[in-house]
Amino acid sequence: MHFVVCAKQIPDPETPPSAFRVDEAKKEVIPPQGIAPVLSQFDGIAAEAALRIKEQTSGTRITVISLGQERARDAIKQVLAMGADEGVLLDDATFQGGDSYTTARTLAAAIRKLGDVDAVFCGRQAADWDMGQVGLGIAELLGWPCAIIASSVQCAEGKLTVKRVLADGFETVRVPLPAVVTVSNELGEPRYPKLQQIMQAARKTVRSMTPAELALDPSTVGAAGARLKLERLFVPVAGGDCEFMPGDTPQAQAVALAKTLRAARIL
Amino acid sequence: MGAWWAPALALSGIALAGALEAERSDAHRQVFFNVQQPWAVYLFLGALVGLLVYGIGRHASLWALGRPAPGLASEIPHRLLNALRLGLAQDKVRRDRYAGIMHWCLFSSIVVLTAVTAQVALDDDTALDFLHGRYYLFFSFYGDLFGLVGLVGVGMALYRRYFDSYRRIRWDERLEDHLIIAGLGLILVSGFVVEALRIEVTELAQHPAWAPWSFVSFALAKVLHLFALSEGQLLGTHTLVWWGHVVLAFGWLGLIAFTRLDHIFFAPVNAFLLRTDAPGRLAAIEQIEQREVFGVGQIQDFTWKQLFELDACVRCGRCTAVCPANLAGQPLSPMQLIQDLKAHLARVGPALQRAGHEGGDVRSVSPVAMVGEVVADEALWACRTCGACVQECPVMIEHVPTIVDMRRYLVMDEARIPVPARQALEHMESRGHPWRGTTLQRTSWMEGLGEVPIFDGSQQYLYWVGCAGSLVERNLPITRSVFRLLRASGASFGVLGQEETCSGDPARRLGNEYLYQVLARQLIETFQSKRVQRVITNCPHCFNTFKNEYPQFDGRFEVLHHTEFLARAVQDGTLKPQHRLDESLTYHDSCYLGRMNGQYDAPRQIIEFIPGLHLTEMRRSRSNGLCCGAGGGNMWLEEAGERRVNHVRTEEAVATGAGAVISNCPFCIQMFEDGIPAVQPEQAGRMRAFDVAELLERAVLGPAGESAR
Repeated sequence: MHFVVCAKQIPDPETPPSAFRVDEAKKEVIPPQGIAPVLSQFDGIAAEAALRIKEQTSGTRITVISLGQERARDAIKQVLAMGADEGVLLDDATFQGGDSYTTARTLAAAIRKLGDVDAVFCGRQAADWDMGQVGLGIAELLGWPCAIIASSVQCAEGKLTVKRVLADGFETVRVPLPAVVTVSNELGEPRYPKLQQIMQAARKTVRSMTPAELALDPSTVGAAGARLKLERLFVPVAGGDCEFMPGDTPQAQAVALAKTLRAARIL
Repeated sequence: MGAWWAPALALSGIALAGALEAERSDAHRQVFFNVQQPWAVYLFLGALVGLLVYGIGRHASLWALGRPAPGLASEIPHRLLNALRLGLAQDKVRRDRYAGIMHWCLFSSIVVLTAVTAQVALDDDTALDFLHGRYYLFFSFYGDLFGLVGLVGVGMALYRRYFDSYRRIRWDERLEDHLIIAGLGLILVSGFVVEALRIEVTELAQHPAWAPWSFVSFALAKVLHLFALSEGQLLGTHTLVWWGHVVLAFGWLGLIAFTRLDHIFFAPVNAFLLRTDAPGRLAAIEQIEQREVFGVGQIQDFTWKQLFELDACVRCGRCTAVCPANLAGQPLSPMQLIQDLKAHLARVGPALQRAGHEGGDVRSVSPVAMVGEVVADEALWACRTCGACVQECPVMIEHVPTIVDMRRYLVMDEARIPVPARQALEHMESRGHPWRGTTLQRTSWMEGLGEVPIFDGSQQYLYWVGCAGSLVERNLPITRSVFRLLRASGASFGVLGQEETCSGDPARRLGNEYLYQVLARQLIETFQSKRVQRVITNCPHCFNTFKNEYPQFDGRFEVLHHTEFLARAVQDGTLKPQHRLDESLTYHDSCYLGRMNGQYDAPRQIIEFIPGLHLTEMRRSRSNGLCCGAGGGNMWLEEAGERRVNHVRTEEAVATGAGAVISNCPFCIQMFEDGIPAVQPEQAGRMRAFDVAELLERAVLGPAGESAR
């Protein structure tokens, strides 16, 4: 079988708030000094889901695809070190600056180009924008079934059995291959690679694919094809206000507090 | 030489003088008095030598399974000195006073009485003829003296083993322990009995002036005399006891080949093999990129020296008795670990030899995995790398490198790591520091300090703040104190600010040698490109790795811990602690400044210079100091076991009655900050934890300096 893991490199979510800045004019996050971007956590878990099946099914190959700039190669290497077999980096300038739709469109084209893909594993959402659209978009564009927010994925007899996380419990669904699954953190921690694997990852191939190879019209991908317009990007200012309850006795203060909360429609 | 030789030597000296003063006499005895076929002794001797060669050869063939141990042929004079100091004079054995005296008694008695026996053989069976006259009298005296010394040792051993509530020697008690001590006691007693019987028959009446030189046997002969036995009875008993004595003695020496008595040979040899470099240094894996196996997952991946050490272990339990993990009821006993590895080697070794060393896979030979089954993962992770076990071991076993070798296997070969430790490693890899979830930046501590000089190569010192000093809230005041003191001392220094990265130390201790090397090489490059020559560190862990481990990668810098720099500044008067503090303190030695680098005095000197301070030492201090619990990467591991190590240590600090516990390490301070509320739930009168620098800042700059925080 051949699985694809989609991996996105994102600004480090552990960036200290004091170091996180945005350029409001350009509507961009200013990369903080000395803090390198990382693999989106959910994508590492998606890779873990694919690798668990690979361990039990001989002859399974995993290709990791990332849409991003040259430095996204690090994210690909990380998944390769975990045990994926090869990498595809979609770093063409025309792919950059898009939205969830163009990302799904580009990834779907790359998956189609690979040809023999049986299943696609995505994180439930990218940990930077938290849109949660790309996995579903890929499924839609490929015409495949999609199971989202999985806490476990098993593969047998050409079908995936997916346990999904619901607000009030779990649901188990079965989907025929080929299919797309988006994976949630309930699945468990992604594995820590053995050093031997890290060394081997350095020798695995990561190839690039151009819009022409993917038969994509440049005007339909990247910034040119984006349909979502970012209106404003800013760091919210968290503020607090402290109000002292009037009253000479604790009882009187408690009454004042209750009244204030009632007025604020909290009680 | 051990100080306890002194009384015996003095006594012997007096006796020698006495013997020389004695009238020129023709004192002597018939060496093999009343013994037929004494030559049979040589059969025993031959058998004994054969047995020892066989026994030790059997061990040696197992050691040969190990990898080469490089560097052991260097610094021979130093190594010989170690063999004398630690092997012959037993400096480490003496760290336990009772056991030290006991062991010295047994050891010196065996050495001297073996010499006595050898002289008897030489006198009788070679052309040499010296056992007569004054020397004979002296010989009789010291033979009896050391026989008595041996009996005192046996008595002490019997008391400790059977009557005292002493625990550690009974943790892994075996039949051989009883045989060894009972055997030795019987040999000594039977020796005296034989001598007494001979004296009664040949000297008591005939040569009353000679007999008292064998003072113990003489007394015994006097007692025997009361029974008025016939000469025939005496001679019959003598023959019987003589042969019993000989058989026991050779049998007991034969135990060397099969029991822990083999330490008689292995301990001095292991003292010779003991590392001569800094104890805080872990070996680098050379050319790590080209290797296929990184840690030690199979017994033959240890060096032969590590395998040799396993055989040197005498199960005394001193290592386990001082192990912080073990004291807290956590699943690590260094002694058990060494014994388990030894048993594993004995079990799989012979089959491995047969399988041929090359390509021999221990798993095909042994159904159990060494790491995971023989030694549990939890035991390896519980180690604080504090070095207490290594320091106490009387036979110079180095447990810590062996444990880290197996951690390397867990991390790099198997990727089997507890989640918090793994996250710390991932953080070091991708973010250059191990502190998950910190909201601080490397420059946060600089706020409100005015201009902070950035190191540009023109300054004399680099002040290395470290990850703990800049990214953990509690440590920021310490960093600021050190900074203000450096500024007040007028020293020329700068900091790296955002350009600091992890020194790699936690990665190395957690077993990720590859990540360590990446981080260390990167930082050495930064230091070299900025022309750093002298570094002052906040953290003993950075200090140790800069000082002792970076030279492995050609990073050679002069490294000072801040307490060393500050102690000098106080001594030469550039910093004047003029404000009185009126505090009662206790001082906690961090393992990596203390035990690993021998720096116990600088922090105490600073405390002494500050007026008004009253220092009470803890029960365990200086080289006996107990780890705070965070060492060896345990800052990022969940503690498994009955208690937390920092609670144990905090209790010891609280027991001094001091109002504050002082340390020199950001990890120790955090462990105390965590431990104090657990040990003292009441907020009132609670102990506080400070770094030495925080105290000194208050003493030098006054309350104003503090309020400027």
